[in-house]
Amino acid sequence: MRWRLFIQTLRWQRVRLAVVILAGIAWGAIMPVLFDAFSDTIRELANSGAFPEEMLNIGSGSLFTLPGTITLGLQHPLALALLGIFAVGASSTAVAGERARGTLEVLLARPISRVALYVSILAALLLAVLLVLSAILGGMIGGAAVVGLVGELDLAQMPLVLLNGFGLWAAFTTFGLAMSVTFDRPGPAIGLSLAWLLVHYFLEILGSLWADAAWTQEYSLLHHFDPGEILTGRADPTDLLIVFAAAVIPLAYALIVFPRRDLAAPA
Amino acid sequence: MEGTPQRSIISTRGLTKHYGSVAALTDLTLDVEQGEIFGFLGPNGAGKSTTIRTLLGFLHATRGEARVLGMDVGTESVEIRRLTGYLPGGIALYDSLTGEQVLDYLVEMQGREPYRRADLCERLELPPSVLRRRVRDYSRGMRQKIGVVQALQHDPELAILDEPTEGLDPLMQQAFYRILDDLRREGRTVFFSSHVLSEVERLCDRVAIIREGRLMAIHDVGELLARRRRRVTLRWRSGVPDPVTLPGLEDAEIDGNRIIGTLSGEIAAFVRSIASPNLDDLLIEPASLEEAFLEYYADVPAPADTEPDDR
Repeated sequence: MRWRLFIQTLRWQRVRLAVVILAGIAWGAIMPVLFDAFSDTIRELANSGAFPEEMLNIGSGSLFTLPGTITLGLQHPLALALLGIFAVGASSTAVAGERARGTLEVLLARPISRVALYVSILAALLLAVLLVLSAILGGMIGGAAVVGLVGELDLAQMPLVLLNGFGLWAAFTTFGLAMSVTFDRPGPAIGLSLAWLLVHYFLEILGSLWADAAWTQEYSLLHHFDPGEILTGRADPTDLLIVFAAAVIPLAYALIVFPRRDLAAPA
Repeated sequence: MEGTPQRSIISTRGLTKHYGSVAALTDLTLDVEQGEIFGFLGPNGAGKSTTIRTLLGFLHATRGEARVLGMDVGTESVEIRRLTGYLPGGIALYDSLTGEQVLDYLVEMQGREPYRRADLCERLELPPSVLRRRVRDYSRGMRQKIGVVQALQHDPELAILDEPTEGLDPLMQQAFYRILDDLRREGRTVFFSSHVLSEVERLCDRVAIIREGRLMAIHDVGELLARRRRRVTLRWRSGVPDPVTLPGLEDAEIDGNRIIGTLSGEIAAFVRSIASPNLDDLLIEPASLEEAFLEYYADVPAPADTEPDDR
């Protein structure tokens, strides 16, 4: 781990990080407000039979309960986009982008091992992901407080929510960075990292909308982060194991592959 | 340097790098001694950059071994890079940073003080006002100057420079040559690749020629230049002598009162032989190193069993 590189990686991202954190707070805050404003209407809609209940959910979340709304808010495409900016975008371009620009060899001409370079960048990106996730969750707590519903949340469980969410997004971050150290250009790394996220999103949504395909959710990493269950005391430790295992596998791959790669002159 | 024990700063033995079936470098064996400026010459795609990148640990050798500063490039490349300065060919810098920020960042990553930065910036005409501008606003020459400074600012034991004068204007090239002269005087070692023979002639103690991934020869530049041929033009007022009586003169032609020919080897005997009141004018044009190489390699075939590549 090289602190200078860790700090510099965060500096590259600082403006983007500030904007995304603000957006995350806003997005988080709006979810309890939406729940407060529309949950009764949606409940009536579901009870009327006009819409099947599955159609009123997104993934494992729903607007019928505040914890469910929080899950919905964290599985919504906007939340995926906010977190994906660092977990997919920044991670997949971190090394491949430097390689394509030709700055990687200037950096690697310093006395820094590729493992230290990888770990320093990963640590910075994981911190960014953690900050964005914290901002969204913080916004949710703030929003719940504003509409007087914070009592419906078991705040003692929030650290576990944060840990589980961090594990999930660490898995996408390590995958993105693994792709980044694999390719010489950012295009394929971004493409595969984004596809990896979308596949999990697809499996989660497919299973939630179609009862016969409910089994597909088990194969989605997104399904293994359900704040609603954690906040209602039904946390499944297996979820933590799964998301952290999914984070460690690409990490191990990158630590094996990157130091052994040939870095020919950039085209 | 003669008479003092030399330490090999770079030493390769049978160094080979293949990309699949393409041989980028084949059986490279050479030694670069402490305190010398060693030129690594070859056309584009000859394997110069492959060699440099292998020495720095960016590429892994297919076969053979290489040691830099006494350390193995495969297992000790981090320590090697601590003591080395590297200028990549066509250097890329961080466009969003200022020149000063780039230099600060890279020297901090180097973990050494920028002992030489002020001097280098002054000699390469990089005043603070320029260093405060963003790299994206720099011309190619200014980027190259920053590249030179980042490679040398921490006073490395060994400087590895890939096409270092690309993009530098003639004045800055001269300034750069003087910097390398000073490094040599201080016992630093410089290994630089080039395809510009004139700068090799100006700077290097020895030069290796690489072609299609194979080392063709290693020469002492002084010796190579000493045995080069010179173009000679003599003009006489009267009594043009028979050219065969002039020692060392070859391919002589008589054109009126002029004799034109080429001179090789020692010139003292030749000068004595032409000493005459009838001699009106004498012009001796030194052949460039380029011509010396062309003469030397005129009959040397290219390696046939390797494929050229563009690395």
